[in-house]
Amino acid sequence: MKRAKQQDVFTGRSPGQAVPEARQLRKLAGDWLKLRRADAELSQADLAARLGLKYYTFISQVENGFSRVPTEIMGAWANELGIEQGAFAKHLLMYYEPELHRLLFGAESK
Amino acid sequence: MSVVAFERKSATGAWSESELNTIVAALNAALGPAKGREWETGATESGDAQFYLLDSLPDQACELCVSRIGGRYILEDGSGRLLFEHRSLPLVAQHARAAVSSRSWSLVARLVLLSFTVRHTIQEKVEPLLIEGEELLVHVAPQLAIFA
Repeated sequence: MKRAKQQDVFTGRSPGQAVPEARQLRKLAGDWLKLRRADAELSQADLAARLGLKYYTFISQVENGFSRVPTEIMGAWANELGIEQGAFAKHLLMYYEPELHRLLFGAESK
Repeated sequence: MSVVAFERKSATGAWSESELNTIVAALNAALGPAKGREWETGATESGDAQFYLLDSLPDQACELCVSRIGGRYILEDGSGRLLFEHRSLPLVAQHARAAVSSRSWSLVARLVLLSFTVRHTIQEKVEPLLIEGEELLVHVAPQLAIFA
């Protein structure tokens, strides 16, 4: 599997400005997705091809924490990573909609 | 003999300063302080440069993403829809600007539609009640006048 290369991060954010919580949670979701993809021994390009995406740039967008896994391809994404669809959606909900996750599954459930 | 140093376009790796300037300049109107948008850069696992235009707080989700794969620039929205691709970055940046303005207009259109819906609902549900009340008053007032 290919490994990520380091790149300097440029930003249009004012210095000292905190990263909002929603973004931090999306980044955690992205890190988890990256680990699960590594477990499945897939590169970003492999996963994109299996999901029918022309480029793998969107996989990177999600794994870097800038976008969410869209609901319409969540099931397919889970299948390609070898994770049960419900468990995959439930885990992502914990990052994407933490309050909804708490209401549905309680504070302890992960 | 003097050699004029032309800046080479990056085909791989991080964004060059001139590439970033091209994208930020095209999106300048969308990035004003009043808009609340920000931008960041990142990379794919293969090291392809990515530029993310982020929505305002609190969500700061990606609205648009410009990536460079080889010598090709890819424009996608935050849901992974491929909007445009070309070897010319200025052209891709212009499409990014157009995509942002069309999103803004779409939001305005939705707000206008919502206000019309609310007004229509008020006219349909509340006005008949008011008219009914007026009619009742017309009937009851003369009878009340007898007791006055």
